[in-house]
Amino acid sequence: MRVAERYEPTVEADAEEARQLRETWKSRGGLIGWLGETDHKKIAGRYIVTAFVFFVLGGLEAALMRFQLARPESGLMGPDLYNQVFTMHGSTMMFLFAVPIMEAVAMYMVPLMIGARAMAFPRLNAYSWYCYVIGGGLLYGAFFLNVGPDTGWFSYVPLSGPEFAPGKRVDIWAQVVTFTELAALAAAVNQIATIFKYRAPGMSLSRMPLFVWSILVTAFMIIFAMPSVMAASSLLALDRLVATHFFNPAEGGDALLWQHLFWFFGHPEVYIIFIPALGMVSTIVAAFTRRKVFGYTAMVLSLVSTGFIGFGLWVHHMFATGLPQLGQSFFTAASMMIAIPSGVQIFCWIATLWSGRPRLAPPLLFVLGFVFIFVIGGLTGVMLASVPLDVQVHDTFFVVAHFHYVLIGGAVFPLLGAIFYWFPKMTGRLLSERLGKWSFWITFLGFNLTFFPMHILGLDGMPRRIYTYRAETGWGDLNLLATAGALVMALGLLLYLINVVSSWRHGAWAGDDPWGGEGLEWSVSSPPPDYNFQHLPTVRSRAPMWEQGPDQPVVVGLRSDRREVLVTRLIDAEPDHRETLPDHAMSPLAVAIATGVTFVGVIFTPWAFPIGIIITGIALIGWFWPRDESRELLEEQP
Amino acid sequence: MRDLHSALDAAGPQAGRIEDLWWIFFWVCTAVFALVLIALLAAVLHRRREELRRVDGGERSLTRAVGGATAISAIILIGLLIASVSTGRAVLSQPPSDALTIEVVGHQWWWEINYEDPVPSRRFSTANEIHIPVGRPIRVKTRSTDVIHSFWVPSLHGKRDLIPGHPSETWLQADRAGVFRGPCAEFCGAQHANMHLLVVAEPPAAFEAWRQAQLQPAPPPATPLQQRGHTVFLSLPCPTCHTIAGTPAGGRIGPDLTHMASRRTLAAGTLPNTKGYLGGWILDPQTQKPGSKMPPVAMKSEDLEALLSYLESLR
Amino acid sequence: MRPRPRIDVASLPTLAFGPRAPLWWGVASMLAIETTMFALLAVTYFYLRGNESLWPPAGDPPVGPATAGLFLMLLSVPPMIMVHRESGKGHRLKVMRFWLIVSMAIGLLALGFRIAEFGELPFRWDHHAYGSIVWAILGMHGIHLLVSGGENLLFVALLFKGPVEEKHLLDLRLNAMYWYFVVAWGIVTYALIYLDPGVLRS
Repeated sequence: MRVAERYEPTVEADAEEARQLRETWKSRGGLIGWLGETDHKKIAGRYIVTAFVFFVLGGLEAALMRFQLARPESGLMGPDLYNQVFTMHGSTMMFLFAVPIMEAVAMYMVPLMIGARAMAFPRLNAYSWYCYVIGGGLLYGAFFLNVGPDTGWFSYVPLSGPEFAPGKRVDIWAQVVTFTELAALAAAVNQIATIFKYRAPGMSLSRMPLFVWSILVTAFMIIFAMPSVMAASSLLALDRLVATHFFNPAEGGDALLWQHLFWFFGHPEVYIIFIPALGMVSTIVAAFTRRKVFGYTAMVLSLVSTGFIGFGLWVHHMFATGLPQLGQSFFTAASMMIAIPSGVQIFCWIATLWSGRPRLAPPLLFVLGFVFIFVIGGLTGVMLASVPLDVQVHDTFFVVAHFHYVLIGGAVFPLLGAIFYWFPKMTGRLLSERLGKWSFWITFLGFNLTFFPMHILGLDGMPRRIYTYRAETGWGDLNLLATAGALVMALGLLLYLINVVSSWRHGAWAGDDPWGGEGLEWSVSSPPPDYNFQHLPTVRSRAPMWEQGPDQPVVVGLRSDRREVLVTRLIDAEPDHRETLPDHAMSPLAVAIATGVTFVGVIFTPWAFPIGIIITGIALIGWFWPRDESRELLEEQP
Repeated sequence: MRDLHSALDAAGPQAGRIEDLWWIFFWVCTAVFALVLIALLAAVLHRRREELRRVDGGERSLTRAVGGATAISAIILIGLLIASVSTGRAVLSQPPSDALTIEVVGHQWWWEINYEDPVPSRRFSTANEIHIPVGRPIRVKTRSTDVIHSFWVPSLHGKRDLIPGHPSETWLQADRAGVFRGPCAEFCGAQHANMHLLVVAEPPAAFEAWRQAQLQPAPPPATPLQQRGHTVFLSLPCPTCHTIAGTPAGGRIGPDLTHMASRRTLAAGTLPNTKGYLGGWILDPQTQKPGSKMPPVAMKSEDLEALLSYLESLR
Repeated sequence: MRPRPRIDVASLPTLAFGPRAPLWWGVASMLAIETTMFALLAVTYFYLRGNESLWPPAGDPPVGPATAGLFLMLLSVPPMIMVHRESGKGHRLKVMRFWLIVSMAIGLLALGFRIAEFGELPFRWDHHAYGSIVWAILGMHGIHLLVSGGENLLFVALLFKGPVEEKHLLDLRLNAMYWYFVVAWGIVTYALIYLDPGVLRS
């Protein structure tokens, strides 16, 4: 790095530059300003709120199911409504909550953690959020009109095909999948370009925070996994709309093809949800043991290998279909081996806790809860990896227990801890520690009361997705316990929500760095200025806030009269060139509306597709056509 | 008699091997969990010396600990893998050649059962209730006519999906007598929750008696009331969907009713097979099993009496 | 308080090509996504083929229009390479325009033959799963031919109308990258659909 002369600021020059930056990076006002927003923090804020709205809706659906199943033949809901409710619950949690929330937290925090002013493609973030909202609105609009999908969140054919699922329910589901996957893909592409090219000088790949690594791995997984579900849902939509025969055995199609295509996405999907949470855990463990996470290289290799191996497991969802044993054994081995990198991470965190000075604040409590719950879930996962065990408990409440243990334990608990940790940075206020601890313990207790009995129910022969059961089965008592547990868990989550809502307005002021964290996000104000950093930091350590002194250089020379950012090199983050980013833009909304017209139209007529392509193309021209702002023009002009 | 449906109460060799494997996994996993939890709590709660952390020595021993734990985890997983594959080979192998062969066909929302035999006159069909002799291997051929269902009798074996276009085969055996429940184990639409079959395992002599009875056509109506019921049956839409062997009724859309009174339940395990429930089912199936394919059939109450009397005679 | 040392980036360039540019990574990611989609469709083709003993089940797809289209796609690549080169070296507008128009015209001809190809197929998408997957693969690739061809057209318009910015040199190169991708998948698609039945028969 070239170090120029010693920096001789005047207070006035510094303040003037800050004023110019504020002016250049501020959002436009009014409705148009809001609709055309491109600031990653503001879009991420909307994304987080939207995802939590869907979390609550999904939770209400879960509550309905628990009330129904609390007693045998309770009669609260008939089969049609129940089947819609469990489909909505799964689809909401998987497509509208779990992936979006992780992407959203990353959208907010990654640029701050890597010392960048913005993300590489500001408009793409806005497009992502709009597609997500359209998808969620489509799903819930359908549900409230009583045409909600009712064939499960993974919608097996032939049940979801044209012959056995008449009407538009499944077509709607297929297009909701399209919108949510577009949103995730857009966010992932943005993360890859940002993480590769926008890191502060000196932040080589081997100095990147573990959370940023986890988002990078996740983004690549999204790129290679999401196309599979888009392919599957498109082929299903074609079967239903124009009578293709991909899944119709009578005409050469194959019902198992759906399962392969869906689960080739579906298994990586759960790691897409889980791997960002691993990054969150590392962040929290470091901050609340006041030492860097033990074994950085092993942690990075674990994240990467989990990402790779995650693509080789999908057939374990199909062990009951009668596939050849030798092939199944390969997937058993892979499904067990993926436990090893997860195990390495847990051992490294325990080593960190052992050699650090733990502080039992709520984020760390949520991490401890994560270890407890996730290890149980991971171990039942090892059981499910075994074909003979799986063919007994597949499609029973044992599996329901397993995946809630790994998803709630493995993703939601770290998320709740991470929100607690980063809430001060995003809002400037601290959450109440007392309420945080209460919400943790009650949620933890309620969760285990709800889901542990389900292991037993599954072994006792209770299948999934049944709207009722008879008293003679003897399943009533454990179901009642699970429902009681669900109420306790809901109370815990409600306390957490109350904490968030009340602290937003009345919480104690946080200051720049309330926790003494190791990452660059704690070097700016809470909340950060629109431009994130007045002078980009430089980095020579994995824990810049702990290990760098006041003589660490900063970057100067970026323009403050336009939204200029620094692009650095991939491996070693040497400064390379500069770029100007767009500020306000309505084109993401326009393209999202065009996308929406296309894929909602396709539910009703195939002609929507060619028409949609044309209007989307026109909207895209608006996106890419050069705008009026002064740019570097070529000397030679036409 | 209460029917049995727990994977941890095995009544046959397949479920027995799987149950054994379950306990191996359970105890190993419990031990692993306990160790991790102890390590976690110790890491958080152990007393720390006030001096500055020793950089080199401390990190080295932590590295050994993490490495050791990882190696032990890998070894445990390999052990579990071996146990799993060996159990899988035992329970998922080919059936012995003296197996009794039945075909299970999935329908929305009932089970068609066809007993196979090289001699055509020794084949018969029934629905929703399978009888097997204790101690004999049973080859189960599976297929579906509509959507994916799953054949699962937890007391006897793991499940096998019935997939249109992918007929399959599994085998099981009961080593003790009993009545074992088999819920459908793949979501198949509105009445997936009410699609159960029963497997009745009985001593070979009792099984043979049952089989002989099933091979007979329906007993002709004996009393005048039953004769009237027989006439009512044939005059209603029932024969469109149902077969009663030995009568003109030959519909194949719904369950075979030739010996329906010999079965313990109605509507695929949804209702007990008693006169009251049967009457309610015939008059209004949609209340008991909303969405099922059977339409309500209205008739005069004397006709219903006669019909029930006839149907109850079909043992 | 002692002031911090600084690194002055004001004299860094404002344009970079290839993997140095964030937009390159954006386009490369998008191409990875589309590659995965094509690969999955190809895998689906082989999966469905594995269920059948007679494949194609009824009538071979005619090889004429497809071969012409393939030839044209390959022919469109050298002019595009010229655009690519010129954007780096002298970036003379006339030269870039000329070669882009040539490549685009050949590409649009190829698209025309693809449309003709559909017309010549002896089966529809609703005739057997074979028809479905062939139409899907050809359709998916056809959409890319259309979109990439459309993008070429837009760049031609831009190079005539202006204002042409520095960064459009990068955009032109990325546009070329997309076109190479479309041609490469055109080759694979051709092999999958037209070489496969022949290979089977022999």
